[in-house]
Formats: sequence, C-alpha cells, structure tokens
Amino acid sequence: MQHPRHAVISAAGLGSRLGLDIPKCLVPIGHRLLIDYQLEVLSDVQDVRIVVGFRESDVMDHVRGIRPDATFVRNPQYMETSTTDSLLLATRDLRNPHLILDGDLLIHPGDFVRFLEHCAEGEDIVCVTPSKTDEAVFVNLDPSESRVEGFQREAHQPYEWCGIAHIVSARLENSTTWVYQELERYLPLTVHAMQTFEIDTPDDLRRAQRGFQEFGFK
Amino acid sequence: MDTAICFDLDGTVTTEEILPRLSVPLELHEEIDALTRATIAGTIPFESSFRLRVRLLQDLPLPEARAIVAATKLQPDVLAFIRRNTDRCFLVTGNLDTWVEGLVERIGCPVFSSTANVEEGRLRGIREILDKGSAVDELRSRFRRIVAIGDGMNDVPMFERAHLRVAYGGVHPPAESLIQMADLVTYHPRGLCNILDTL
Repeated sequence: MQHPRHAVISAAGLGSRLGLDIPKCLVPIGHRLLIDYQLEVLSDVQDVRIVVGFRESDVMDHVRGIRPDATFVRNPQYMETSTTDSLLLATRDLRNPHLILDGDLLIHPGDFVRFLEHCAEGEDIVCVTPSKTDEAVFVNLDPSESRVEGFQREAHQPYEWCGIAHIVSARLENSTTWVYQELERYLPLTVHAMQTFEIDTPDDLRRAQRGFQEFGFK
Repeated sequence: MDTAICFDLDGTVTTEEILPRLSVPLELHEEIDALTRATIAGTIPFESSFRLRVRLLQDLPLPEARAIVAATKLQPDVLAFIRRNTDRCFLVTGNLDTWVEGLVERIGCPVFSSTANVEEGRLRGIREILDKGSAVDELRSRFRRIVAIGDGMNDVPMFERAHLRVAYGGVHPPAESLIQMADLVTYHPRGLCNILDTL
C-alpha cells in the first residue's frame, strides 16, 4: 500500500482554553504525551513535519526523542496567526499528496490505518468524527454518507469535521479563513469517519484521558 | 533556473568536522577540538577562531592537508542529492579553498570558500574569509529563490540573505541564533533529504 509521503501536524498554538502552560501536543495522556500517539499512527509516513510556535524548543526536544527525522516548521507569529497560516507555511512546497492534522487530536489507531488505506485511492478526503465538541463544525453528508456536501456551525449533525484531511488536488491559499473554509471550495469531498478526541478544554482532556485505553494504544 | 540550494560544508554535507581532522598529524587535536567546540557553541566568533586555527594548522604540508580533507566522511544521501543537482547546489564554506579543493571535487558542485595565501606551495595564511552573505548575493541575480542550509554562527549572514532557511543539526545541534532565524529545523539527514526532495 502506498502511504501518503508527507504529513503536517499543526502544533504551534497556545491552547489557551486548556489553561495549561504547555502546548496542547505535550499534554500527558496515560504514560505518554499527546503527540506521541500522533507520531505512532504516522510511523509509516516518510516525511513528518510539525509546525511549532509556542514553546517550540520543548516540542522539538520532545519530538526528536521519538521521531528523530521529523522536520519542524517554525511559525514565530503563532500568537497572531491561524491554523491555516501554520499549514500554509508547511505545505507550500509540497507537491505530492499529503496529510494535514490538528495537533490537538487523539486519533483511534485502527481507524487511522483504514484512513491511510482509503488515501491510497488518491482522492482529497475530509475526516469526520461523531459530533461531541462544544464548538463543532458540522458536516452535511450526502444520502449515501460518502461525501461531504457542506460545513456549518449552526444545525447539529451526527458528524463534525475533525481536523484531518488528505490533500491531493485541493490547495490551501487564504490564511484568513479556517481550514474547513478553504476545503469548502472543493466540495463535494470524499468523507472518512474515524474516532478522535479533540482536546480544547479541561473537560476534553479528561474525556481523552479516560477514553484513550479503548483506542487500543500499546 | 528557479531555486539555488546553498550548503554549509562542515557538519552539513560532511558528517565530521574538518579542522579537527587536520590537527591529528600535528598533535594539536585537543587544542583544535576545544576551539572548534567553542566556535560551535558561539563563545568564540567564527572569524577569530578560524584565523587562530589556521595559524595552528598551517605548518601541515598542503598535499597532506588536502588528502586528509578529501577523505572526510560525507552524508551519503545529501551527497547523492547534490550530485543529482549540481547545476543548482552550491557549497558555501568558511574553510580555505586550498584545503577543501579535493573534497569539493569529490562532491562535484560549485563552491564559495575563504581564500588562502599560498606561496611556493606553502600555506602562508588567510587571504580573505568568506562572507557567506555575499555568496548568496551573487546567486540572487541568477536564481529566483535561495535556500540556505547550515548549522553554525558563520551561516548567519547566509540566512540573512536567503529566502528559505534550514537549520540542520545532523552532527551537532544548530546554533540557537540560526534556529531563531530558520523557517525549517531538522536534526536528521533523512529529515534534510525530505526537505531537499520538495525543493
């Protein structure tokens, strides 16, 4: 199976809603840190690039111990810029298909393997997860539930955008919008459902700390 | 031609520092090693440290010095990339032209280097220490985009003039100033090759 060659994790932000003085990717879950789990599911991806900003040297020092060949993309303007900015910095030179991932996600490893298999089909793919976060970006699915027809924040839907995508022909261009708004220009898009915990708030963190064992991580 | 890629030599294309190798036959290894470490750590400016190290090493006969330098270990994947892209890769080194000529020939791309005073086949000292920024300036007229890859304080002027800056810590961690100026940071040759493959 041909894995995507590149993966970009955006981990530059302050994570202010969590109320901890550490980047979200470094919060402890079980005996490991959140980013360890992401690096585990990405272990077969050749080129892992991590956008760093807040406490960049802490993130770099930690990641180097787990994934020595990672590349760090610096976003020193992380305080004033968006996730889209961070992804733009990291993806502007990537011509091949690549993955984009929010750095605040705990991802079900089995689901992620199935997603990587899906990526081999060579399409742009938007990943969704059963809706559970406070500020969800819901997805409107077609009747067969195989394609995303729209994103919106108003009407509750069974699934929300989870911050993971396989990018083939779509292009992020505008740093002033959200990532899902950039993807909107390419609708309808193939969908892939997976279980994730997004960690924005202390409640999210508690849920992830309880739930990670069910995900079957070693 | 679109993109030029400027490589620092010591610790970027080579996997070992060059000057400590020259110090072995003169039994000055400890002294050169200490100066090299202090230079990497940024406690001695590159230029004064380099002048001092050249003074210490200039008694080594040139043919012997060139042979030692030419045998310096190179990072195989970085070398392979340079050899595939000799029309857009450049070595930008503070080291002396007369010492590195054999090594440069082995690598196979053009070089910007410091220049030596050689009289009657003997090294008499430094003629001019390369300002790495001026090397980038020269390339800017021929290329739209300049990528700079380096690890030490003497790479700062190159970073100042380049469009994309890669701080590389393959042999030792990059100087903190360089990290603070960098767009990309990687500590592993595979990471560096991943970057190179997307340029």
